[in-house]
Amino acid sequence: MTSKKPLLPPPRTFLNRLRWMVLCVVFSMLVLLPVVGVYQNYAAAHAYDFLAPSEKLLYDIVEPATAWFTNDPATDLDAIKGTTWSANFFGYKISDPLAVAGQIAAGKELYWPFLFTALIPIIVSLLIGRIFCGWICPATLIYELNDKLRSWMARYQLPVGELKLNLRLKYWVLLVGVILSFITGSVLVAAFYPPAIVGRELYYVIAFSGFGVGAVFFLLTLLGDLFVAKRSFCRYLCPGGALYSLLGRYRLVRIKRNVETCNDCKKCNQVCQFGLDPLRDDFGQECNNYSTCIAVCPSDALQFTLNTHDTPYQRPGHRGRQYRQHKSSTEKKRQAA
Amino acid sequence: MQRRYFLSSLAASAVTLLAPAVAHALPTNRKRFLRPPGALAEAVFLSRCIRCGQCSAICPNDAIRAFDFENGYSSLGTPYIVPREKACILCMKCGDVCPTGALQAIARDAEEIISKVKMGHARVDKSLCLSYQGKTCGVCYRACPLPDVSITVGRLEQPQVLADCVGCGLCERSCIQIPHAIRIIPRTTGSGPLSENSKAAET
Repeated sequence: MTSKKPLLPPPRTFLNRLRWMVLCVVFSMLVLLPVVGVYQNYAAAHAYDFLAPSEKLLYDIVEPATAWFTNDPATDLDAIKGTTWSANFFGYKISDPLAVAGQIAAGKELYWPFLFTALIPIIVSLLIGRIFCGWICPATLIYELNDKLRSWMARYQLPVGELKLNLRLKYWVLLVGVILSFITGSVLVAAFYPPAIVGRELYYVIAFSGFGVGAVFFLLTLLGDLFVAKRSFCRYLCPGGALYSLLGRYRLVRIKRNVETCNDCKKCNQVCQFGLDPLRDDFGQECNNYSTCIAVCPSDALQFTLNTHDTPYQRPGHRGRQYRQHKSSTEKKRQAA
Repeated sequence: MQRRYFLSSLAASAVTLLAPAVAHALPTNRKRFLRPPGALAEAVFLSRCIRCGQCSAICPNDAIRAFDFENGYSSLGTPYIVPREKACILCMKCGDVCPTGALQAIARDAEEIISKVKMGHARVDKSLCLSYQGKTCGVCYRACPLPDVSITVGRLEQPQVLADCVGCGLCERSCIQIPHAIRIIPRTTGSGPLSENSKAAET
């Protein structure tokens, strides 16, 4: 007997698929923009004949890809530049709130034009929460793929770390980073913040053909995710994640468990990248609206809702065994009485 | 046990990361570099720059590089120019794109550039310069984007650097002598008129 595969995946997975798509688009932008930048340098030099064969290849690929909308690539293609740490869209500058926090600490001054560049990320985080981590952060893409490697390793009995630490550790890392920036007068938070590192290192490797020291740090975090704890850096150490969590503490959009349809299957707890406990309605400020738990829920009990607070623990799901046993036992008691 | 293992590995990685930083933070290791045009005074620059690398990405001459640990931990990721490798062509795009004003936006206009940009100051080593050795050269003068403002040539094309040199480094880049006879003394090193940002700091 062959089970019939549905034509389309169930709708609950769409958000998670969309999230992966956005992550991939952001990541490929971080690869494409430096490539375009290198092409722009070649174009600005007007020296095609002097390029090495590999450089000519890059030129020959990018030139037809951009020629249909620009005659002056050296100037026009400057319109979009940057990374998720700080970027430039047609003259509008947008930066990570952590960059602003670090800069305020290091400079001991408020430089308003720069503060405004973080306005949109801050407003979005206040409303939707730690959305940057799951939907945009280029490091998340690599960390999640690394996590797939981790589960593969676990399946073949290879050692993986299962350490449980305090989730609040990252707020201390944020504090230490800000204090370090304050003391040294230099924006050092950028040095241990994976999204900034990934954007920077991708640029280095494409434009300067070599990784910088950030790559070493990033590799260490990847190893940490494998051998210390699942998603250990994001969960326990990421200063930016800490800042986004704080901003998203009273967010409007939250995931809520519908106790009537929940069947206690625990799939949400297993899939949660951040080790949260959706089964016991424990989302809190650590939840970053990844929507992986929504995608995996077989009874569609998890949904996005508009609410500034989480619901307290609602007891076991009504479709689960625990609830049925409890119910039948209470009924027996009632009948006996 | 596991926690101890975690903490010790954390400490070990911290040491491996910090050891080169400490080694390179020693002033003897520092190499000669320029900050991009429009950079604020060094201390303010470090507190402003968020290491986004956009100046480097926008530079059409591929002149702006980013530090690892070569200039100490506090310079990690900050932009620099080594003029002998690639010099600044004074296009002023980096100042436009800088989100924090660590590089000030300066219009691409000779007057503006002369009055606001001070990356360093060129100095001629007469014992190396071909023109001072009786062989007329004058390449530095011809490479200069601000000829007769920053540099003049006299008899036998002997270069004379003037006070309005902005320190872009194109002369050093183009010098045909090896080792180069003209070099930019960065405003961040040295003393006297070459020291810390004599023009930009006043504005």
